[in-house]
Amino acid sequence: MAAPTVTASLDASTYSPGDPITLTVGYADPDTRPVTLTIVLTDSQGNSSAPVRVTAVIDPLTVGVADDSGRAWTKVSDTGTTAVYRVVA
Amino acid sequence: MPRVTVTVRDFGGHTASATADYTVAPPVRGGYYLAGNADPTADLVGGNFRSLTQYRSLADGYVFPGYGMTWLRDLGRAGVALNVVLELKHYGTGNPGAQTFTVDGVTWTVPAPAMTIQQRPGTTWPRAYGYGQVLAGQCDGLLARALSQYRTMGVPVNLQLASELDTDHEFGTTESGVSYTWAESDARAVQALTYVVTWLRARGLPAGTTFSVGAGGFDRAGFRRTHPEALMSLLDFLQWNVYATDPTHTALGRFRRARDWAVADLGPVALSRPVIVAEWGVQVAAFPDQAAWIATVPPALARLNAERGPRIVRTNYFNSGWGTLSPKEAGVAALRAAYATRPFG
Repeated sequence: MAAPTVTASLDASTYSPGDPITLTVGYADPDTRPVTLTIVLTDSQGNSSAPVRVTAVIDPLTVGVADDSGRAWTKVSDTGTTAVYRVVA
Repeated sequence: MPRVTVTVRDFGGHTASATADYTVAPPVRGGYYLAGNADPTADLVGGNFRSLTQYRSLADGYVFPGYGMTWLRDLGRAGVALNVVLELKHYGTGNPGAQTFTVDGVTWTVPAPAMTIQQRPGTTWPRAYGYGQVLAGQCDGLLARALSQYRTMGVPVNLQLASELDTDHEFGTTESGVSYTWAESDARAVQALTYVVTWLRARGLPAGTTFSVGAGGFDRAGFRRTHPEALMSLLDFLQWNVYATDPTHTALGRFRRARDWAVADLGPVALSRPVIVAEWGVQVAAFPDQAAWIATVPPALARLNAERGPRIVRTNYFNSGWGTLSPKEAGVAALRAAYATRPFG
């Protein structure tokens, strides 16, 4: 299994008290693969159901955010490769 | 400085981490100036006023804290950040000629000021100690006197050298009969103010002493000329003044004008310095409801300080001249309300 990669960037370096701080996390793993399963049920008479598609991710990554000032970051979006977190300064 | 650490982990236990550091700056210091260098203490009561501007001439025999101005020391001890504009402009004494005085046992003789500044046609041009006089060491006694008094005051200040170099030089200067253009005056001032900062630093200053040079900030070329990196490396703050004198003037537009020029024109040392707005004001003739304009200042500053570039850390309302609050009570109440609001509060 390959090692994941991650980047973290803030929208500024200095904030005033009360300012929103936005953290953008970029992450990836060569092993992470989206797959789509298409399922069709067929009975003994040969009747088939309509196909159903489900998606899954092989070896998904979990993302953790820790702040040594004790601020609790909130995730506001996540595309699977880019996650955005926010907190108030 | 807080640090945020992001860690990703896959199902196999492989991890990767990245960090990002950030700073949460202290609130902006809202400040004040009362006409005539008057004691502002009564106006400051009940408000989040944490900054003050004062004006002193090096010609004055009582520079620090100023004659009868012990309240300045008291305000400093109470945590008010003091910005003292220290000027070569000649005032504060009735004596227009040479001065002889003794400082810490050393007798100094300083010649009469030999320069005129603010040479606006149709006005009386103020006199000032000349940049050539400073560079020739003829004003060292003035610096020694001010330094000696400052050392005994007991609170550190920011020494803003000159009030507004652009106002002083806009119509050229004249020293000992020689005329200098605006640009030439700026170059001479940079040399002279470098001399002053170097002279004072070499002799030891109270801990916490900082420096800036004064600019109105209304002329882009002049602002660039008076903020070379070599001088800025000796200074701690950028500084400019902000006035709303036309009904089209917005707080955001006025506070950002010199800031945008600085970001575009100045070097990395200058841009690493925070900003003192030593004077800001709204002219009642342009804005009869001064309080309404004042209320727009906090969000404007919050927005500016969220942008890339030097942070504005002190803003001192100039209750005098263009900024005169009329009626005063409503104006001071508006300042109290503004300074209770983010990014001041």
